[in-house]
Amino acid sequence: MNQLSNPVEVMGIDAGGTMTDTFFVRADGEFVVGKAQSNINESQAVLESSTDALAHWGRSVEDVFPEMVTCVFSGTAMLNRVVGRKGLRTGLIVSKGFEDFHRMGRAIQSYLGYAFEDRIHLNTHRYDQPLVEIKDTRGVTERIDSQGNVVIPVRLHEAREAARELIEQGCKAIVISLLSSYLNGKHERDVRDVCLEVAREKGVDIPVFASVDYYPVRKESHRTNTTVLEAYAAEPSRATLGTLSDSLKDCGASFDLRVMASHGGTISWKAKELARSLVSGPIGGVIGAKFLGERLGYENIACSDIGGTSFDMALITKNNFAMHQDGDMARLVLSLPLVSMDTIGAGAGSFVRIDPYTNSIKLGPDSAGYRVGTCWPDGGVDTVSVTDCHIILGYLNPDNFLGGILNLDVERARQSIKTQIADPLGLSVEDAASGVIELLDLSLRQHLRAMITGKGYSPRDFVCFSYGGGGPVHAYGYTKGLGFKETIVPAWAAGFSAFGCATADFEYRYDKSVDIGITHESGEAEVEAAVGTLQAAWNELREKVLEEFRINGFTDDEVTLTPGYRMQYLGQLNDLEIDSPLAALSSADDWNELVQAFDDTYARVYASAARSPELGFGITGAILRGSVETKKPNIPEEPDAGPTPAPEASLGSRPFYYEKKWVEAKLYKMELLKPGNEIKGPAVIESDATTFVVPPGFETFLDVNRLFHLIER
Amino acid sequence: MTTYTKKQVTDLVKGELDWDSLHQMLSMPKDKERYGQYMEVLQEQVSWDDRILLPLGPHLFIVETGDNTLVTKCGCGHNFGDYRQNWKLNALVYVRDNETKMSEVYPKLMAPHTDWQVYREYYCPTCGTMHDVEAPTPWYPVIHDFQPNLKAFFDWLDMPAPANA
Repeated sequence: MNQLSNPVEVMGIDAGGTMTDTFFVRADGEFVVGKAQSNINESQAVLESSTDALAHWGRSVEDVFPEMVTCVFSGTAMLNRVVGRKGLRTGLIVSKGFEDFHRMGRAIQSYLGYAFEDRIHLNTHRYDQPLVEIKDTRGVTERIDSQGNVVIPVRLHEAREAARELIEQGCKAIVISLLSSYLNGKHERDVRDVCLEVAREKGVDIPVFASVDYYPVRKESHRTNTTVLEAYAAEPSRATLGTLSDSLKDCGASFDLRVMASHGGTISWKAKELARSLVSGPIGGVIGAKFLGERLGYENIACSDIGGTSFDMALITKNNFAMHQDGDMARLVLSLPLVSMDTIGAGAGSFVRIDPYTNSIKLGPDSAGYRVGTCWPDGGVDTVSVTDCHIILGYLNPDNFLGGILNLDVERARQSIKTQIADPLGLSVEDAASGVIELLDLSLRQHLRAMITGKGYSPRDFVCFSYGGGGPVHAYGYTKGLGFKETIVPAWAAGFSAFGCATADFEYRYDKSVDIGITHESGEAEVEAAVGTLQAAWNELREKVLEEFRINGFTDDEVTLTPGYRMQYLGQLNDLEIDSPLAALSSADDWNELVQAFDDTYARVYASAARSPELGFGITGAILRGSVETKKPNIPEEPDAGPTPAPEASLGSRPFYYEKKWVEAKLYKMELLKPGNEIKGPAVIESDATTFVVPPGFETFLDVNRLFHLIER
Repeated sequence: MTTYTKKQVTDLVKGELDWDSLHQMLSMPKDKERYGQYMEVLQEQVSWDDRILLPLGPHLFIVETGDNTLVTKCGCGHNFGDYRQNWKLNALVYVRDNETKMSEVYPKLMAPHTDWQVYREYYCPTCGTMHDVEAPTPWYPVIHDFQPNLKAFFDWLDMPAPANA
């Protein structure tokens, strides 16, 4: 095809700890995936990975970058910096008398991210090192009460002394987080200005972060952690992303590098709130599923992503995903809005052991990760993993694992399963291995079912999307018998997260806590005041959002602003996030519209009978999202080529063990299957980065958008 | 099942094991060899040859002597007598039973009133190591912390029990 009429438009980068993946999409929806080893220089890794990807099309980086319109980055460097406590040395200024709260941490931080057994056992609980050490923490006398009134005026001479000491001690950034500053930011801003002044006097250039400028929301620990991350982890990333952006420009790129953020939009690497790009990988898939759903008419989607170590699930209802207000990451409670996901620590690479007390198979909680399992002798793993079981039963091709870059030893895997699992249980190797797979599938299926039914839905109303490197291998297993409307596996399952990142809007989102409560006794004046408070919060956030876009050269009229709010029935504990039905509020009548929108949403999310307006309504937070138009990848569309796969797509057959017997599974090359092709199980459809298993009793067809539909007969 | 090296168990006893290994040790079913390894490490820390059967504290052990009697012994070698008797009865005791003595270990007003509660500290008469502190009401008898059933314990461990257990 003509390159000029079919340019490469979209690039997604996934910079992991070991591999940097790039994902390029052409205007016609065709895509290529490239891989390179992540090394110290991130820019170099991205360029090498891009070169690898574009080689599939016989094109070069210098040739392609100038014609591209958008690029989205997601990476683990920032997260690793936090987990490894290798961030920028940061000083912290808090209200006097509260110097210890950061290192004490919220109790939940002692078991966040743990497996269930470790959460209920007190002796496994442990607090990680605080991000800021006590010797880099200073208190300043001041107090603002819970209504936002100044009770003790801030003693700025103390702030001056604190800033001087912190700078002299070698802190490279200063974070300020004072009590109740989200209600009245004056003290924090005054301290901030003093710190900047001291830095100027001392002739040093260090960033100063006042929590009110970034995350003016309630909950001191969350707000402080998040603002500290902005200095500790995001500031160094800003430098790396800047270098990466420059090196892309050197190759002729004219697009702005964007980063995937936890709220489901992408932001510029120049964004003020960069900490929200801390975790973004698994979110990409949800955004991608929503995008596909909108284009292809699936409004209720259960997203499922299996990687080597975890199973991530999310629900999209009526084309919306839920938001979690206080996300947690790296075992820290944070004030970051996060696309709501359920994660369990069982994946395609989970370790398999026998519990010596119950003599039963136990999966995880740890996993082989990139070391695959005992089947890869060079990986140095001695414990059987789920992958080992797949290898010996013919689910995965040992000669083409990850495109054949690893040499796998099937016999070693078989021996390990025999001695560690099969012999102690008195089973044959095949039955032991298939027992492991059944157990994993069962556990995933139960979690998936619980997530859907727990919210009052039925799987019958949902389409299940299955992606990630391991998704297509397990899709039949964890959806079997659940009764989903359909199970869909995109042909680009392994790159689906990167694809999803590329479909995300260029969107900033700012949040602010407000305290509004209106009961049935409230008079008109109170309602008017409430409406005024919310509008004032929106005005404040509006300025921040527009400022972010100005940094990237967008004028205010190019930005689409979407105000929102978090509302709850008074007396209940949980609130819901609502997109405002009105762009601006002016009178007490507008209140009723806000309430109506909340009531409708509540009825959709839970049930109309569960509504409880008796005590009135409260608003806990104001939200403002702003977005600008971006170029999105096209969904591939190819002509129907009929039900019979072309002969060149067939790769022969291999023995496949399912339900206690060996059968001969037909093998296909995923890339060579054409829309309309129908395949009956047992069959295995292979690609470099993933394997799609269609066991006996299942069949699949590829549609014109290159989505496989898995059907249980 | 997990297994550990002797180095890891030594680090565990010293309190120097890295958290990831420690976490795994806490979370996983206990490996069969661990108790033997643990006793071996403890044995290396003492200068005498009597076999350590069970630690009662960081420096206090129930041991099997050369003539197969079972006694409680300090890390320094001091013998507290038959393991079925309360070793504290043969230790030096220091009782904190007035405000002055309490103020040595706690700030003023942050210690219990000694009419209600006293501290009894038990020391080895030979080396002066503090083996235990109890915090009872003033009139309470010396507490016998516990008397292990060594036979049942070693059967459960699947290890040969000492002759006189």
